[in-house]
Amino acid sequence: MRYVKWAFWAMIFVIFGSFLHYTLPQHDVVRIVGTYQERQDLNDWTSMFWSQPDDQSGTLASRDVQFIQSVRPNGRPMVYRNEDTGWRWPPYFKFDTASLQTEADDLKSNAEVPKWAVITHYGWRNELISIFPNAVGIRPVEGPDVTIIPWFNIFFFVFLGLVALLLWRMWAQFRERAIDPVLTDAGEVWDSVDARADAARDRAKGVFGRINAWLATWRRKPRR
Amino acid sequence: MGQGTGAAMIGFLRLLVFWSAFAAIAYWSLLIYSRSVRREALEKQWDADPPEGATDAMRRAFIEEGMSAYEGSLRRKLLWGVVVLPFLAIGTLLYLVNYA
Repeated sequence: MRYVKWAFWAMIFVIFGSFLHYTLPQHDVVRIVGTYQERQDLNDWTSMFWSQPDDQSGTLASRDVQFIQSVRPNGRPMVYRNEDTGWRWPPYFKFDTASLQTEADDLKSNAEVPKWAVITHYGWRNELISIFPNAVGIRPVEGPDVTIIPWFNIFFFVFLGLVALLLWRMWAQFRERAIDPVLTDAGEVWDSVDARADAARDRAKGVFGRINAWLATWRRKPRR
Repeated sequence: MGQGTGAAMIGFLRLLVFWSAFAAIAYWSLLIYSRSVRREALEKQWDADPPEGATDAMRRAFIEEGMSAYEGSLRRKLLWGVVVLPFLAIGTLLYLVNYA
């Protein structure tokens, strides 16, 4: 039973953790090497890893998506998609896809004369199912080893902690003020009901006792 | 990208509807919680130092008076922040992501 409990909490932790890891912004230092636009088929389950930038895109089987190609300081490639999130999930309210693509084009460089940039993005890159993180911001930086402080995430987790604390306090208050008194009352009421029932049963043996006995003959007998 | 402002407005309305539902729940549960905390504080305040010959009716009147004072207080009005602040947050995010 203990293992079931652990497994349950581990599962909750993994699901919630992956959800946050996918949704919260992350920063990569990269060198932009190119941008391209490609038609994407979006009618299988992986469509949940792509945006629905407008209302018709929910029903489209394929549409054009812009991409940003980059190389990280360790020499490995990283490709981002560049799509509006619009008013939908995740709540980045990104509408400036075209501008972002232009900024990325402007920062293009080669390995000989590198220009470094920080790309803010959310999402995962997975080659097997062809999914890409969505770039939401880009800014030039001095070199590949800049220190980036994730202010938004710090603020977010502090806020999440405060909300959890508040919910816990609300629940404790509700229990103390609304549930516990009722339980105490119910306990007292139960005792008095019990006492009265005993007295009533003795009184009612005459009339109700006979009716009950008759009703009992219609009830199904417990199986042996 | 290739979307008219019409589609953007529908998306915004959808967000507005979902958020209103959520904000209403958040606001009412916070209000209930906040009232409950205030009432408990008033009860404790009375019980800690009840005046001479205090009756149950006097206690009730004291608490009700405190509660009606609370209903007009700034703290009570600040609860509307739950509804208002997210719109400020959305506005800030919208600016930072698209225009900053």
